[in-house]
Amino acid sequence: MAIDAYIILSAVLFSMGVLGVLLKRNAILVFMSVELMLNASNLALVAFARQWGGLEGHLFVFFVITVAAAEVAVGLALIVAIFRTKQSINIDELHQMEG
Amino acid sequence: MENTGLSLTTVTLFLPMVGLTIIAGMALLDAEKNRENFKWVAFAFSILTFFASLLMWANYNSADPALQLVQRNDWLPQYGISYYVGIDGISLLLVLLTTVITPIAVFASFRSHVIHERGREALYYGFMLLLEWAMIGVFVAQDLVIFYIFWEVTLIPMYFMIGIWGSENRVYAAVKFFLYTMAGSILMLLAMLYVGTQAGTFALPEIVNAVQSGAVSFPFDGLFSTQSFLFLGFLIAFAIKVPLWPFHSWLPDAHVQAPTAGSVILAGVLLKMGTYGIVRFCLPLFPEASVAWAPVVGGLAVIGIIYGAWVSYAQVDMKKLVAYSSVSHMGFVVLGIFALNAQGLQGATLQMINHGISTGGLFLLVGMLYERRHTKLMAAYGGIWKALPLFGAISLIVSLSSMGLPGLNGFVGEFTILMGAFGSEVLGFFFALFATLGVILAAVYTLAMFQKVYLGELDKEENKHLEPMHWQEIAVLIPILVLIFWIGLQPVGFFNTMDTSTEAIVNYVQPHIDEIVVENAASVSEAP
Amino acid sequence: MDIPTLEQLNLSAAFPAISLALGTCLLLLVDLFLPKNRKYLTAWLALGGLAVSFIFNLFAYNSSTTALEGMFIADQFTGFSNIAVIVATAISILLSIDYLKRHQMERGEYYILLLFSATGAMFMAAANDLVVIFVALELLSIPLYIMAAFRPNDARSEESGMKYFILGAFSSAFLVYGAALIYGASGTTNLTEIFSSVEGILATQSASSLYLLAGTALLVVGLGFKVAVVPFHMWTPDVYEGAPTPVTAYMSVVAKLGGFASFLRVMIIALPALALPESTIAVWQTTLWLIAAATLILGNFVAIAQTNVKRMLAYSSIAHAGYILMAVAAAGTAGLGDSAAQAALIYLLAYTFTNLGAFAVAMVLEKTDGSNVTLDDFIGLSRRQPLLAFLMAFFMLSLIGIPTTSGFIGKWLVFQVTLEAGLIPLAIIGVLTSVVSAYYYVRIIVNMYLRENEAAVGDEGEALPGASQYVNWAIYASFAGTLILGLLPVLATNLVNTVNLATMFPR
Repeated sequence: MAIDAYIILSAVLFSMGVLGVLLKRNAILVFMSVELMLNASNLALVAFARQWGGLEGHLFVFFVITVAAAEVAVGLALIVAIFRTKQSINIDELHQMEG
Repeated sequence: MENTGLSLTTVTLFLPMVGLTIIAGMALLDAEKNRENFKWVAFAFSILTFFASLLMWANYNSADPALQLVQRNDWLPQYGISYYVGIDGISLLLVLLTTVITPIAVFASFRSHVIHERGREALYYGFMLLLEWAMIGVFVAQDLVIFYIFWEVTLIPMYFMIGIWGSENRVYAAVKFFLYTMAGSILMLLAMLYVGTQAGTFALPEIVNAVQSGAVSFPFDGLFSTQSFLFLGFLIAFAIKVPLWPFHSWLPDAHVQAPTAGSVILAGVLLKMGTYGIVRFCLPLFPEASVAWAPVVGGLAVIGIIYGAWVSYAQVDMKKLVAYSSVSHMGFVVLGIFALNAQGLQGATLQMINHGISTGGLFLLVGMLYERRHTKLMAAYGGIWKALPLFGAISLIVSLSSMGLPGLNGFVGEFTILMGAFGSEVLGFFFALFATLGVILAAVYTLAMFQKVYLGELDKEENKHLEPMHWQEIAVLIPILVLIFWIGLQPVGFFNTMDTSTEAIVNYVQPHIDEIVVENAASVSEAP
Repeated sequence: MDIPTLEQLNLSAAFPAISLALGTCLLLLVDLFLPKNRKYLTAWLALGGLAVSFIFNLFAYNSSTTALEGMFIADQFTGFSNIAVIVATAISILLSIDYLKRHQMERGEYYILLLFSATGAMFMAAANDLVVIFVALELLSIPLYIMAAFRPNDARSEESGMKYFILGAFSSAFLVYGAALIYGASGTTNLTEIFSSVEGILATQSASSLYLLAGTALLVVGLGFKVAVVPFHMWTPDVYEGAPTPVTAYMSVVAKLGGFASFLRVMIIALPALALPESTIAVWQTTLWLIAAATLILGNFVAIAQTNVKRMLAYSSIAHAGYILMAVAAAGTAGLGDSAAQAALIYLLAYTFTNLGAFAVAMVLEKTDGSNVTLDDFIGLSRRQPLLAFLMAFFMLSLIGIPTTSGFIGKWLVFQVTLEAGLIPLAIIGVLTSVVSAYYYVRIIVNMYLRENEAAVGDEGEALPGASQYVNWAIYASFAGTLILGLLPVLATNLVNTVNLATMFPR
């Protein structure tokens, strides 16, 4: 079935996103990896929506896109704030708290 | 289930709470101004509670085996839990013990230096009343969850008493006491939940009836089966409280660090909650497991008797000596219970009372010496009889009662227990034999202490000018002396009070003794 | 396709949540016109909004309907969660008023974010659709990211917000992908409809059952991050420590409320039949109980090593998530869904009061420079502030689960349902770890009452930096809740005794 190809692609993208979050040290790149994960989900949703022919999948995608935009707004603001105080966006340097 | 009206049991139970509320109110209003008044409130309410419990005794019909003075109200109906209190003979005697010991402990605190120095009278006397409430609650609760609530609540005031008004190592002792006993009781909670869920109710009499009629059964198949695990869940909680060897290690620490009144209540009442729990829960709910495990538990009890006596003898600290002697005495109680016959159980119940009185008395006496000399080491004393003859005489009586001299209370209890153990179908001859050895050892360590402290030459300068006994100290000891002679000479009244109740409990277990013991005997004779 | 009429949308059933959302939007406008030195008015208006929502919730409490085309369920589960969310939010506002002023972060947006986040939690509890769960979860979380970083020019607060944000977004992505796979398997995002299709999917043995299984796993990961269970907990201590204390108090309670409400809904409504053939136990039960056991063990043991009170409470909150997860795991046994949900709800309410109280007391002791409150700060508190020390001791006993406190009622119901589900090893781990927890909670009591002699002389009567009238109200309210729920649990159990997630829609 043709849909399997889309799902496999989305799974690959999702896994790349997960690895990116876990391995990258730059906050912006981590953030982009999260976006990749969300968009992998969108791809899967759209493919399934096509398969089932309903509206729900498409609806979900639109919500994901919107919410992702909101997250971008908050996330970038946080990154800017951190850059102002620390002059760096390397997440390894976020270690004020240990224990 | 029907809700019943107010019963005398509830009145007795909640009188200390009324006192606690008054103390809390006074403390919130003006703690500084009321400093001297808290103790009187606590004393007044503990005496009131005592009179209420006497009323309970007067209203108790010892011929009737059913629960009496019952009150039952919905608490959490969806889960089958009710506020369910009532008494039988065993509960009644222990409630009386509690209401006698508490005013004594409160009154004995009046002259305590520690409480005077550390202050916080409101907290101290408040905790006393909270403790009395919880202890009475443990003895009258007829619902598993309600019992567990009271059981756990006793931890808190005792923890603070040891921790705030104890001696040098008090924090360690308090935390150890708390964690040790909580670890034991929390497994009991699981076992209770299991029992309650299976039975569909948490009301103890209903569960016991269901178990006896076979409507609810906890499968039993040897030492390690569902029923045995439930039995152990309850038993471990109780064994830690008793404390049964090898669960005793918290006790010497707690006793040595606790203030005098704390020790009196701890030894006098709290330890009895453990043995009471065994009688009230383990035997009726898990009769087969009780029979099967009786030799093991009885064996631990005998080890405890010998071990406690042995270690007592080696002590140089008087309080530690009395603490370890408790391990030995409470071993007798457990042995009596697991003889699983009427004599053993009656002896055990009476011995609970006796131990509360004599050991409570011993702790009071040690406390009075400590107030004078600020040491508990026996080596610091010697010849005290010559300095304080009245004090020495009272000490002699209490010591003799503790070691079981005929004519005094200790003898009656221990003798009945030994008779029960000799006649027991589950324990056999050797248990009783070694326990008898324990009686002899008790005489050895008690007399050794008496000799080191009271007899001999009055050779230490500090001991020559000890403050004579204050009237308050004498007043505290009088009820103890009265009870020692009363139970020693006229125990019949006490036996009558508990007779039908112990009978009922033995009847729960009896059928299974024949079943299991006979079966075991058969399997032994089959073996080559 | 027909456009539904307003009547069909049945908005009135969803009104508690909708009214709060509308009220918050209105407040956003009103706040613009409030002068800068009178921002505390926003707090009062926010409390008013909560009160209105609470009243609507009372009216909707006993309903049992769906709204918004079946995406939203109004039942007792929703109503009870709403009560807990509203109470927790109100207490958090009381905690915030003076804290914000003291730390020069008094801005109206704070309260608006708080209310939006509460709205998200309320929608989460009512969500009957994977889309709604996702959107509500984001509505709950995104304001929290901002609030965690709310203290200006403070590296620790910003770091806390950043960490929370990255892991929160990460976990949402898992949730979405899991939802996508479940949608792929069943062809619907509605929980009730997913339930009716599960048996058919399992019967066909197609790729769909694989999607369903993988989707469930990813959903568990996503929600597991939100409620902070092991192994998805590592963000919790840092975020809790760095965030402003009222925010920590709020998120330790409300994020858990929302997360667990969704967790229960998904597991009990949609996926209870996800079981092997001829089995009455859902396949996810084993996974969940292992996670719960790991959470209990790690949370409680690591908490022992903490000296910073906020970190200690963070690990303690991880441990409590483990107790609640015990109930979720028990729901995997057929027929126990309802009693598990009831136990979890009561536990959550009990935890709400107790934990807010504990955080409130910790906040009172916090110095204005924002430095950490350590266990040593509690030494001798019973002399300096007898009432405060008493209340803190009571909260600690409740967190341990000593009877006459709400914590006992919660633990006991959770243990009972775990036993009924036959998860005896988990129940034993649960009780033993609560003894471990006693160790670190009791340490605070030890410091307050038993180690007074070591306190520095002259400390007596020293004014506490964080004390204020509003904070006291918050602490008294938490105490009242903890005590009343402990003595008269019937008040709460009556509210949930007809919660019927599993039986609401006949199979």
